Amino acid sequence: MAKRVIKLTFPQDLVKEPLTFQMAKKYNILPNIRRAKVTETVGELVLELEGKEQDLDKGIEFLKKAGVIIDSIVGDILE
Amino acid sequence: MSYVLGLRCRECGREYPKDVLFVCEYCFGSLEVDYDYSKIKKSFTKEALKDRPKTMWRYKELLPIDKEPAVGIASGFTPLIKANNLAKVLGVKELYLKDDSVNHPTLSFKDRVVSVAVSKAKEFGFDTVACASTGNLANSVSAQAALCGLRAFIFIPADLEAGKVVASLIYNPYLIGIEGNYDEVNRLCSEIASKYRWAFVNINIRPYYAEGSKSMGYEIAEQLDWKLPKHIVVPSAGGSLITKIWKSFKELEKLGFVDKVATKVYCAQGQGCAPIVTAIKEKSDVIRPVKPKTIAKSLAIGNPADGYYAVDTVRKSKGWAEEASDEEIIEAIKLLAKAEGIFTETAGGVTLAVTKKLIESKVIPSDESIVICITGNGLKTQEVVTKSLPKLIKIKPNLAGFEEHFKNGEKQKIAQNKVIEYYI
Repeated sequence: MAKRVIKLTFPQDLVKEPLTFQMAKKYNILPNIRRAKVTETVGELVLELEGKEQDLDKGIEFLKKAGVIIDSIVGDILE
Repeated sequence: MSYVLGLRCRECGREYPKDVLFVCEYCFGSLEVDYDYSKIKKSFTKEALKDRPKTMWRYKELLPIDKEPAVGIASGFTPLIKANNLAKVLGVKELYLKDDSVNHPTLSFKDRVVSVAVSKAKEFGFDTVACASTGNLANSVSAQAALCGLRAFIFIPADLEAGKVVASLIYNPYLIGIEGNYDEVNRLCSEIASKYRWAFVNINIRPYYAEGSKSMGYEIAEQLDWKLPKHIVVPSAGGSLITKIWKSFKELEKLGFVDKVATKVYCAQGQGCAPIVTAIKEKSDVIRPVKPKTIAKSLAIGNPADGYYAVDTVRKSKGWAEEASDEEIIEAIKLLAKAEGIFTETAGGVTLAVTKKLIESKVIPSDESIVICITGNGLKTQEVVTKSLPKLIKIKPNLAGFEEHFKNGEKQKIAQNKVIEYYI
């Protein structure tokens, strides 16, 4: 099992969608919420995901396709 | 003697020991160095500073290393220049340039952060330092690793300009060109950093590395005789410098060196890579990552690690933000050279261009003190201005040849003056 940490940003129109749950169920991924901030306009979620490498890739791709912005928690390192 | 208590999570406040850590293991927030200010107060006094060397290490109590610095002995304490010519052009009363284009040893503000990071890596017992960079950071890590005998791995995009490659390669690091786009280079470097136990200066050493930027703020305050400027314009890439300059001012306030901080902080970015500026202007708490497209390569970070904190700093200080187009950047580089005799790189062009816009739009008033942070040297990014400069006049090796061209040259100069009279 592999682990990955990602930051999700949900645009306003996606805040009410249960996308994290759908991803977890569909790809057999265990998400662990470490930090969250939801305002009227945006939702931010820092997650630790656990699952098979391939499933993690697919799950993250599923969120991206749905319109969620996925970032690394350390930002860009090329400076 | 160390004045560092440990590390603290910027999000949840959880405390950690002084170790090679960079994110909170609970909330994955970034970690920051925490100091014992009551202990610092005893030895860090204006009196004590009088006899100290004019380098960034005169503020050693407020920098996170325990032993004497291993590198960067001469880094920092760069000139703060009262820019009277430029002030006249911009129509302001009191203007200063903090000139890190002459920082030691590699001519950019990165020498401050790398001096701390490499010294700290040495203290932690690492034998290898590393970074992913397109320019200034690569140069500084390569040079400073060479100085203290550490192995250096420098990762760059494979298509980087030859001039920039040479400025790192000369120090003999392992220089690795990655064939891939911006995102792929970032991703691979993250993977390498998590797999190999090296001191990646801007990843696992980042809490210490970033503290080096504070020295720029201390110097500005001291060079202004402990009176903080009313306005300071800072270029932003990852967003760390602007937050650390603010932190340095607040620390000086806490230690009784300056009055209550009333400086407004302004963020400058290049159009085409301005995620922090956008968030400030849209009054948003969220930084939306962008694909960088600007000639200011040294500021081209699409997903800034400290973006949120940069936005927060600007807001707390009641400052603002602005972006500069490629044309405005080039014009500003030329303006600085013509008015003050300083050749800055594109980041300096961004900062000056943004200052000009903020003054013209009266966001920055003309009758209050302003500091512009110039963070790098123009010799490193010559290609961006080459096309906009006049051509070399070639003559035969005799006096007649010179005089003929001198007459023509005069005409050319007059014509040129008309075009650029707006400068002076």
